[in-house]
Order: sequence, then structure tokens, then C-alpha cells
Amino acid sequence: MDPIAGTVPGSALPGPDHEEPGLDTLQFREEIQRLMTVPQQENASSFTALLELPPTQAMELLHLSPEPPVSVGPLLKSSCVNPFNSSLMFPRDVELIQRAAKFSIFGGEQSPEAVAAPSNSGVNMEKVKSEPAETDSNPNSSSMETKNNQRSSAKRKEREKKGKVSTKKSKTEVKEDADKVPYVHVRARRGQATDSHSLAERARREKINARMKLLQELVPGCNKISGTALVLDEIINHVQSLQRQVEFLSMRLATVDPRIDSNLDQLLATESLSLMQSNFSNMAPPLMWPEFPINGSRQQYQQQWHFDALHQPGWGREEDNHTFITPEASLMSCNSSANSASLHTGHVKTEL
Amino acid sequence: MSMNSRSLLLSPNPNSLKSRFTSGLLRALLRINKQPHQQPRSAREIWKRQRLIKAAAYKSMASSVGNRRAWSRALLWKIRNQRRRGYAARRNTGSSSRQLSVKKRICDLQKGNNNSKNRVEVGGSGQVEKLRRLVPGGQVMETCSLLEETAHYMKCLATQVKVMTRIVEIYSINPIEN
Repeated sequence: MDPIAGTVPGSALPGPDHEEPGLDTLQFREEIQRLMTVPQQENASSFTALLELPPTQAMELLHLSPEPPVSVGPLLKSSCVNPFNSSLMFPRDVELIQRAAKFSIFGGEQSPEAVAAPSNSGVNMEKVKSEPAETDSNPNSSSMETKNNQRSSAKRKEREKKGKVSTKKSKTEVKEDADKVPYVHVRARRGQATDSHSLAERARREKINARMKLLQELVPGCNKISGTALVLDEIINHVQSLQRQVEFLSMRLATVDPRIDSNLDQLLATESLSLMQSNFSNMAPPLMWPEFPINGSRQQYQQQWHFDALHQPGWGREEDNHTFITPEASLMSCNSSANSASLHTGHVKTEL
Repeated sequence: MSMNSRSLLLSPNPNSLKSRFTSGLLRALLRINKQPHQQPRSAREIWKRQRLIKAAAYKSMASSVGNRRAWSRALLWKIRNQRRRGYAARRNTGSSSRQLSVKKRICDLQKGNNNSKNRVEVGGSGQVEKLRRLVPGGQVMETCSLLEETAHYMKCLATQVKVMTRIVEIYSINPIEN
């Protein structure tokens, strides 16, 4: 969790000052972890959690209208964690970058208000986010909102908010360094050249992390493993084992299969499908099969003498085999009865 | 009787991936088994059949998925090209092989470009490359879409294994009479 916690706060910041008291980062990370663990219990899927964000509330966030931190807090608490887990889509990173740039400017203008927030922010992410909430709405923000509404993605709004917060924070940090000691600084760990790059990188990383989580859920026993490398190892092993299983099963099919070529069996292709789907747990269907070929063959094959010839030697020896032969045979019958009939003659000869 | 069979067919989802794959695979199996074979099967013959069955399984799976997924597209393209190359080699036509070589060159270029572009942020010791090799068409994908394709590919592989196990079980119910 730590890398994620580290990177999320490390949003794109143009500010040059990275020398923040390490204590704050630690506290912040703990807070992030706490926040991350809480919603884990609530939502299995982060995407649905984000969708639960009422659009109105998300819009309010964007409006940057002054709101009491309390009301924004719970919303932020639930929503701010989600981007860690969600699969973020950034179809137009360019627009996001532009918006982030706008908000960085905006942050500079709103510094006095932004300063007010850090005073009580402590380590809480909620209070950190209340910064933009207290700032006045901007034509920029409104235009951004309309764009967001068009896309209707609460996740992106949340991320932009974080971007804004981080950029604002960088500005405010520059202006009043020494004043606010318990100041949560949200910035990228590694120095980023520009906002746009780091934002895009962060978006990409979040996307990859989201997909990795998806894969973790698919692969059994991968949830406990932490760390990308081990998870990838597990995934690779799983894929390899599945491919090996397919190969092994095909080998078994090659050896096991005896007389699937009987024409009688073609009648029950449909039966086989339904049986395949319905777990075959009950052996009742196989018992019904022997009667089908008799009727089906007469319906579907004009050259009935083929069947008569095959019936006599076939039934005696292969009564048991017909049960499994029928599924495949019926499949073939649907497609090409003529071909099968000609082939059947060949089989008749080989058998006899 | 036929009406019964039809109703049985429709009761579970007949358009699901599983049913499409099953029908395709069974069809291919029938086709493979239609070829006349001598009863005491040599190991070589079994190995040939195994190859055919495996190819049929992957082809049927890719066809069931269709063009919706990058990996299925890549797999179908590969299968088609293998067949085409086989035909071209047999017929010794220059045009088809030229087309294939051009496409292959484009593919190699794409692979080169994409691999240089994709910064492997998932820095594990060459695991992403391993994954690329495993998933069909993984060489030309970006890391992000590679992960997505892997998820779907894994799901389809699991379906494949389930269906094939079922088929083998059905065969094993009846003892082989050779």
C-alpha cells in the first residue's frame, strides 16, 4: 500500500520545494492507509463506489463553492480513496492537463483562502481537500464542470481536485513556508518536470494499478500478495498453467477418443451443447441418448442404408460409446450431412 | 425428439462464450476423428492428433470471442497466416508470400516501436515481457491494455479448460474399445 499511498499524494506539482518535514509525509501516509482500509470494507469494487458519488456532490466539489469541511469530509473520505483502487480512464489527458494548468493558476490567486485551510488541516486528507472547497467558483471551474458533466466521471473530478489541491499546495508552500508546520504536502516524490507530464504519468500508473487489481481478483490466491512483481509472477504462472492444462487435455482427447466418428451421433449435437452447459451432473441425459439416433438419422439422412449398415455392427459393440458419440455427431449433422454420409461409407468399410 | 433437443439447447444461454466454444470444438473434434485411423495408434499419430486438437481448441476459442478482443484478433490472424503460409509454400506462389512478408515486417516494426515506447514501469525482472509472450498479440500492446487483455484471456482459458475437461469426462465414461 505504501507505494500507492506515496504516489497519490505526490500529485503533479511545479513547486520546487520538496524539503518538507518527513513527519508530515508519514502522517499523511498513515492517514491515506487508514482511509484506504476503511472503504475496502465498504466496497468490493471501487468503480461502483465512485459511481455512488452523487453527481451533485461531485459537482459541488468542482464548483469549489465554499462548503463546510464536515459535509465535504465524508464524501471526500469515501471518494478520495477510490482513485487509488479504481480503474481510471483518461481518454483525454490533454484536457486534464489544461485544466490542471488552469487550476494551478487559480491556486495562486486563492492563496489566502488556501492558507486558511492548512491551519486546521493537520494530517487529514479531508481538510486538505477542503481548500478548494472554500475557494470561490471560477469560470474555469464551471467550464471544466461542463466538460466533466459531459463525460460524467466522478473519478476524474476527484483526480482533478487532487491535482488542484496539490498545485495549490505547492503555491502556498512557496509563499508561506515556515508558518504552517502541520501541513500536509501533497507532491510527487520524484521531481517532475512539468505538471502535464507528471499528471499523465500518474494517470497511467493509476490505470495500470487498477488493471493489476483486476487481475489479482481473477487469479486465485493473489489477493494476499502485495507488490507488483510477485503479483505479476503469480499471473504469469497462472496463465502458463492454464495453457499447459489445455495442452494436457488435448493430449487426453487425442488418446481417449475412440469412435466419435459414428454418423448416428451427429444427431445429438444440440444435446451435447445443452449438456455441456448444464454440468452433466445428472446421468439422465445419457440414458436418453440411445433412442435419439434412431429417429434423428432417419430424419436427417437420406441414405438410410448407411445407418442400417452401421447400426447392426455399431449397436452391438458400441452401445456404451454412443452415449458420448452422439453429441459430436449431431453437431456435424447440422452442418454437412452429405459429407458425413460419404465419410460414413468409408467407416462402414473399415468397420466391416 | 428434435423439438426436445432444441428446447434443451435454448435453455441455458446458447450465445454464451462457453456454448459457442463448445460447439466449435466439438465440430472440430468430429472433423479430426473422421479421418480414418488405424486402431493401434502410434505415438506419432497421437501427437499429431493432439496438435490438431489443441489448434482447434484455440481457434474455436478465438472465433467465439471474435474480433472484440485484441488477443483473439491476433490469434485468428496468426492462425490464418499459418494456413496461408502453408498454402503458399505448397503452391509456390510469390504474391501471397510477399504479402505475408510485408505484413510481417510491419509487425516487427510495430513491435520495435511499441517496445521502445512502453516504459516498463512495472519494473519486475522482465515479467511484462514474459506476459507479452504468453498472451497472443501481446508484443504490440501497451502495458495497460496488455493487462486488460490478459484478464480476458485468462477467463477464456479457464472456460476452455472447463469445457475440455467435461468432454474428456464424457469420453471416459465409456471404455474405449479398440
